[in-house]
Amino acid sequence: MERNLNLFYLIFLTILKLNLFAQVSKVEVNSTIYGDFELQRNGKPYYIKGAGAKDHFNLLSKSGANSIRLWSTNNQHLLDSAHQYGFTVTLGLYVRPERSGMDYNDEYAVKGQIEQLKKEVLKYKDHPALLIWGIGNEVDLKYSNFKVWETIEAIANFIKKIDQNHPTMTVIAGIDPSKIYLIKKYCPSIDILGINVYGSIEGAGTNIRKFNWDKPYIVTEWGVNGPFEAKKTAWKAKIEPPNGLKAEQRLRRYKQLIEKDSERCLGSYCFLWGQKQESTATWHGMFLRDGRPTEAVDVMQYCWTGKWPNTRAPSIKNISLENVNWRKDHVLASNSQVSLKIQYLRNNNKEIISEFKLFPESYSNQIGGDFQASPEAMAFEVIRKEKDELIFITPKRRGAYRIFAFVKNEMGQSSVANIPFFVD
Amino acid sequence: MKLTFPIALYFLSCCLTLSCSINQVSIYEPYEPETNFEKFPYKVLFTSSEEDAFWGTKNNECKTVLFDTSNNFIGNNHLHIKWDQSNCNYIGLGLKWGNYKPKNLLPIIKSSALELRIRVDSGVYSNIPMFFILVDYNDKQCRTKINYLDLEGGKIDKTWRRIRIPFQAFNYLSKGVNIRNIKELRLEFQRKGDIHIDNIIIVEHEHNYAKLVDDFTKVFDKHPINLGVGKEYWWGINPKYSSSFNFGASFENESVVVKLGKSNGSTWNNFGFSAYKWMHTDISLIFSTSALNFKIKASEIPKLRVSFISYHGQRRRLQKELNESNFITRNLNNHEAYIPLKSLVGHDEFSWDDLKELRFTILNDVPFEIGDFKIIEFRGNPKKPTEWKGI
Repeated sequence: MERNLNLFYLIFLTILKLNLFAQVSKVEVNSTIYGDFELQRNGKPYYIKGAGAKDHFNLLSKSGANSIRLWSTNNQHLLDSAHQYGFTVTLGLYVRPERSGMDYNDEYAVKGQIEQLKKEVLKYKDHPALLIWGIGNEVDLKYSNFKVWETIEAIANFIKKIDQNHPTMTVIAGIDPSKIYLIKKYCPSIDILGINVYGSIEGAGTNIRKFNWDKPYIVTEWGVNGPFEAKKTAWKAKIEPPNGLKAEQRLRRYKQLIEKDSERCLGSYCFLWGQKQESTATWHGMFLRDGRPTEAVDVMQYCWTGKWPNTRAPSIKNISLENVNWRKDHVLASNSQVSLKIQYLRNNNKEIISEFKLFPESYSNQIGGDFQASPEAMAFEVIRKEKDELIFITPKRRGAYRIFAFVKNEMGQSSVANIPFFVD
Repeated sequence: MKLTFPIALYFLSCCLTLSCSINQVSIYEPYEPETNFEKFPYKVLFTSSEEDAFWGTKNNECKTVLFDTSNNFIGNNHLHIKWDQSNCNYIGLGLKWGNYKPKNLLPIIKSSALELRIRVDSGVYSNIPMFFILVDYNDKQCRTKINYLDLEGGKIDKTWRRIRIPFQAFNYLSKGVNIRNIKELRLEFQRKGDIHIDNIIIVEHEHNYAKLVDDFTKVFDKHPINLGVGKEYWWGINPKYSSSFNFGASFENESVVVKLGKSNGSTWNNFGFSAYKWMHTDISLIFSTSALNFKIKASEIPKLRVSFISYHGQRRRLQKELNESNFITRNLNNHEAYIPLKSLVGHDEFSWDDLKELRFTILNDVPFEIGDFKIIEFRGNPKKPTEWKGI
């Protein structure tokens, strides 16, 4: 009887394993009859409509996305969750960048990292959601030791040997001829180039060709121009455009730059389907800190499905302080009464709710999306509040501040804009 | 009976030898440590109930430090730390290690490692966001983290796992830490975690990994330097997408035939090449007596902008629009360009020890061929590039 039970258990496990393997997708890069590169998943064309996302999967699915990008293997539950929602995953293998203190001349550190990542590959290679291996993210940012490419190749080469089902990609920060040359020379096992491009997305398609990258590419991070590309005030505060303008920029970039390059581009991952502090709390995120979606979410649905959602977020197109618009410097007297005005599109919303918050200016030297702490909102005196105007009293203390205006509809769909100002 | 005498003799001689050797050794003589490791006195940092072995154990909103008494690896208790960095810039604690006595790690640096035991309450990890930091008496610090190669079983789980941190893994040389005068060991924690630590000691350890040297830098200390040699180091020339530029054959090394107006596909107006195989190119020793020199074959001298780009530095790009003073016409269709590097605005802020590439932007639609790019010696007036007798 015991033997029969053991036999049954063995058969059950075998079936389970076979079932698991049956779910593993075969992903390949092929060429079409027109000579275009094409990603194929289980023999069918697969164009990546993706987002850098860790949550809001339900809305992501409804918006028409089919894939998410994860930057590391730290959170298996995200991979499992993505699979439940029917998303594929470009799974990042976190290769320590030189800027984090990694020394690529240190054989011990290098070999240790490679062996650890090989273990991660073995752990996840048969996950049914896995689409592409993303080996390293922006390891080229502020680097000087090109040996890092040997690490990338060691991992890619290992993947080629043990996982024939998933292509390999490395992701770089912007395109540059030296990086393209070094990757071509030192990383022959890389199938796809991932490019994180913000302002530089404008010339990315041309530069890929100019710099002679002869394999396909994926736009692994894209969105609005980053804080590192922004104009600064005299007191070094970065000037962020209103969300409405950023949404227009997203739409144009997807339609005119990403979608049009059907020859080389296998798809994209917009940044960021979520929220994070990067100079401000609203720069890259398509959601607010409290989880409310902004008009960027509506834009992505239009990009992915060709249809706008039934209800759309209002959209702030302009913001001004003392009738001077957001592009200029604003230096104000302390403890003085000032006026903040916003202009927004209602987008057929009957009810619009406005909210205003004041923060101390946040300065950070972090780069490449590294963690930045969020400042806390400050109390301040409001004289009068309208839907499109706030009369308030500036802080008494000299210093740099930033005031945010939020608008939302009854569904919570929101828009935001801010202006940095200096109290002298 | 015949064997009795020799056996007795042998036995006697053995006894005599033994008694002699016993006489030479006194059991009351002190033990002399032989190796540097044996001589090192501070081998124990934390083993059992030395709660006072640490500083920074006070709990706050970001960390909880406990000395658990159950499931120890050794002794009566062990360190249990839970942390969350969300609201704190720094989370750490330190080991007083020999009650802060100065420790000279130099004699043992190649033969020893820090060893500790670690476990978690749930899950399996191959790394923990924690750093090990050596601090000297000048408050200089060097750090390292857990390496997979010295993590027992390649994982951290519910079992006490051995971790070794070879002293050679610390970046003490690059951080200027005086390894002969170490004050303490600190543990720094990042992000979020919950771990148990026990038995922190120093052990003998063989570490067979090298520190490699940078072989991606090319230093030039004499003229001339031939540039743009090897088509693989060029960009901007891709006839599949644009026929604005094609490699030519009129010059000794690589040259480019430029035809912007009659271009098939996209019209591209710039190309470039690496200074030397896309390596860090150091011409800092000779840049002040150097000029860029190249040849042009054309019925009319084209309008060009030349850019020098470095890999790093405050000012990463120098550029110049060339004018008549940069050219000498050798005969009807052959022209030669001279651009003294000191004539470039901002040349003193540029990292000449880390030159990356040269770029050329074509500013008008004149067909020509350009090639024979060189850095040559130039000791004339940078403002009069073609008037030096040496060219």
